Amino acid sequence: MIELRDIYVRFGSFEALHGINVDVKEGEFFTFLGPSGCGKTTTLRTITGFIQPSAGNVFVNNIDITNVPIEKRNIGIVFQSYALFPSMTVYNNIAFGLKLKKIPSGKTDRKGEDIQRHYTGREVDAKVREIAKRVDLTDDQLGKAVSQLSGGQQQRVAIARALVTDPAIICMDEPLSNLDAKLRVQLRNELKAMQKKFGITTIYVTHDQEEALTLSDRIAVFNKGYIEQIGTPNEIYNHSATEFVCNFIGDINPLTGDIAAKLRLGEGMNHFIRLERLRVNSPEESAMKLEGVIESVEYYGLYLKYFIDVNGQRLKAVEKNDGIAIYEPGQQVTLSMHPRDIMSYPAQA
Amino acid sequence: MQGYKLGEEASGAEKFGATLVKVFCVAFFVVLFLCFMVIPCINTISQIFTADKSDPWAVVKFFLAGNMPKYVLNSLLLAVCLTITVNVVGISIVLLTEYFDIKGAKILRLGYMTTLIYSGVALVTGYLFLYDHNGMLTTWLAKAFPGMNKRWFSGFGAVLFTMTFACTSNHALFLRNALRSIDYNTVEAARNLGAKPFKVLFRVVFPTLLPTLFSLTVMTFITGLCAMSAPTLLGYDSINPEIVRLAGSSVADEAFPQARAALLSVILAMFTIMLLTVLSSYERKGHYLSVSKTKAKLQKQKISNPVANVFAHIYAYVLFVIYMIPVVMIVVFSFQNYPAIRSKALNMSEWTLINYFGKQDYSYLTSAGKYRTRVGSISGVFSNADTLGGIRLSFILSAIAAALACVIVVVVVNYIFKHKGKKRSVFLEYCMLLPWLLPTVLICYSYRTFYNSSNWFSIGVAGNTLLDVNFNLYYKENVRFLIIMAYTVVKLPFAIRMIKAAFYAIDTELEDAARNLGASPLVTFLKVKLPIVLPSVLAVFALNFNALFTEYDMSATFASSYGRSYAMVIQNMTFEEGREGYNINASGRRNASTVFIMLVSGLILYLVYGVGARDLGDRLAIREKRRARLNKLLKPFKGKKKTEKQAA
Repeated sequence: MIELRDIYVRFGSFEALHGINVDVKEGEFFTFLGPSGCGKTTTLRTITGFIQPSAGNVFVNNIDITNVPIEKRNIGIVFQSYALFPSMTVYNNIAFGLKLKKIPSGKTDRKGEDIQRHYTGREVDAKVREIAKRVDLTDDQLGKAVSQLSGGQQQRVAIARALVTDPAIICMDEPLSNLDAKLRVQLRNELKAMQKKFGITTIYVTHDQEEALTLSDRIAVFNKGYIEQIGTPNEIYNHSATEFVCNFIGDINPLTGDIAAKLRLGEGMNHFIRLERLRVNSPEESAMKLEGVIESVEYYGLYLKYFIDVNGQRLKAVEKNDGIAIYEPGQQVTLSMHPRDIMSYPAQA
Repeated sequence: MQGYKLGEEASGAEKFGATLVKVFCVAFFVVLFLCFMVIPCINTISQIFTADKSDPWAVVKFFLAGNMPKYVLNSLLLAVCLTITVNVVGISIVLLTEYFDIKGAKILRLGYMTTLIYSGVALVTGYLFLYDHNGMLTTWLAKAFPGMNKRWFSGFGAVLFTMTFACTSNHALFLRNALRSIDYNTVEAARNLGAKPFKVLFRVVFPTLLPTLFSLTVMTFITGLCAMSAPTLLGYDSINPEIVRLAGSSVADEAFPQARAALLSVILAMFTIMLLTVLSSYERKGHYLSVSKTKAKLQKQKISNPVANVFAHIYAYVLFVIYMIPVVMIVVFSFQNYPAIRSKALNMSEWTLINYFGKQDYSYLTSAGKYRTRVGSISGVFSNADTLGGIRLSFILSAIAAALACVIVVVVVNYIFKHKGKKRSVFLEYCMLLPWLLPTVLICYSYRTFYNSSNWFSIGVAGNTLLDVNFNLYYKENVRFLIIMAYTVVKLPFAIRMIKAAFYAIDTELEDAARNLGASPLVTFLKVKLPIVLPSVLAVFALNFNALFTEYDMSATFASSYGRSYAMVIQNMTFEEGREGYNINASGRRNASTVFIMLVSGLILYLVYGVGARDLGDRLAIREKRRARLNKLLKPFKGKKKTEKQAA
């Protein structure tokens, strides 16, 4: 569906993207994930046409669109700020693109070329109301100013505006970043449901790993203008390809010094273990065990996070809150782990 | 998936149209910059050194040897004193209404803000109505103290007093906003750490107001230096009235009058440039910005010392009386007939609208002992040909200039934002800001002398003239074009600062969104960007129109009977009052004119800050409320109709 081939983007002497290669399948929810300044938005803007790559090509359905003007790419965008036109009502925001769009009239001119026409007023109205219905916007809300809507409603208007022109792809640039935590979770679910409902190929940009893991079919993890790994959420989390991905996704314990020696972990490598894979006083037998003292406990309701002192090094462990086995600071505990849960990467100079 | 058309080329006609628009825009800005900013001013400067062919420094020497430096020193003295008095009164009115808990603060604020709708010639004539030799207050004082000098309200003291209360509008707006934006938690923190209220005021509040105060001080200094209407009407020898006098003088009467006027204009420009450079370098150093994430609203401070509290209340109400008396008297006396106005005695039994509408004949006894009747000698603002002509001319010229300034600036700012950081856009912006450095009187004087020529240039071959550009812009009605250009050029810097700020509010993603949805740059500008900045553009238009409609300084510098603005008409109104039976109610008409100006200004401010400040959401909410109210009113009738229908 979408293919990026060796995309390089340079701003003067600064190279923002160093040969990006991505292949997004039809109907897929694909996420660009990474820290600020890693190149994810630059890649998205290259797809949408706001940035012209210095080298490389963008293909959609095997057609090279690298030099196609923005408005002719047939890509809908949901912006970070939603970019809803404040001087227009919700209705006019959604109808804006439709009124400008030209469609084949079914007639041909003398040269045999298609004659294009604009949508009629009735067609515009029908399409606006249809898409509004699909994204759960009422007729009453269509007559309102965008400033009169809540954050969630504004997001639905932005999606409706992007979808109403029947784009082949929809791109979303951190659309949840301006919202508070509770609303973010609520809208994340709505977004996922809406994407499944429309079945449209979606490219989503975020720096929030939780958002990426919960929403995506596949994720590309960006770092300093390179893609570190492309994979499903499970692959990215459980089988991180690089030390950067391992560190960036979720919380992690580095196993170094005395601990690495005691566990007989290979030298010349950096070793990590995720918090939930470190078991506190587990009855299961394990070859890899460490003795430690509880330093402090953080209470999260659903689970507990322990900070444990092991030979002067601090390790973190997460345990389900069963209401029975809750350990107090100062208590001696045994930490156990399975060798397959240890992620090792070659140490870099 | 739709098929893609690679890089569609624009048609030949579209390309030609775009090139034509570009050429026109470039030509327009070149002409505007060179012909209405640079060349006339250079011509003025050159006059100083070319007036005496034998000695280029003759004018400067003559200037220094004569009494001319007196005008410069007088203007400087006025400017220095004005910065002190305006700051004292300006800071007082803001503290009394916003910081201290003074009873009746809302009413006091209204009184202190009257200068927003009542300034310039209208304000000076209002003060004269009270304080001049036959003014109301002077008449009362003369009755109490028969030996007093009835012409006490003139010269430096009168100008300083009048301008002090006329120039606090900026304090009332900007200092008030700065004070209100202070985080109250900082005040509470200082109190909690043991600081007393006045210590808090001087150590916590004032330092955050300093940048605003510094800007206001510089602007007040420039206002004092460039003062025109108050010194002209109240008789004080300062630079601007002298420039106007010299510009109209002839070589037969005195040496180098035009060159000396030019020199004074250039001195004024040098002072302005110096002060604005100081101001901008100070602004560049940065301000004390609040670092708090959650600002607390400023709460009024009670003055705990009872003596200080009483003194503060007395001071507040004395200021209120000074601000309000001229306004109230002018409004009240605009509804009185001419005998009451002449005698400055309120006639409670007789009120009239003759100063506004209609005409009356006037009969008087001649020296020959016969009664004569002067037809239509008593006339209202809207019936008097002279006044109506002034209103009409000022209205048309101001509206055209204010609109032109807005159109020019919107095009320029859009260009600047499109080519952000590029040298050509920076240059264009500086060109538009150039008139800020030039005193208005220099611009007008330069136009007056540069375009007062009957022959610009001719091209000829072997004695035959092929092209002879031969028109005088400072001639008869042509002067109105010059006035429009002067008004426009003078208002460009203010317009660019305000409209540029509005363009900053446009989210760049909006433009991207419009492009993504298929909008061309023109459609994006007209349908997305312009509606967002339109309230600010209209506000700039309204404020510029407001200032130009009652402007006196520039039209007075042109001093042409074809460019007699409304303010000039008001200023001249009472000169021939009553002589030979003419203009019997000129003072009354002047009062009515002032009331008319206050209404126009008030209406414009309401439209700008009241109606214009509403966004689409507010407007739709108001429309909804109105509809609901209307439905409620019509409900009984609708119900009745329904019942009738059912009955039928």
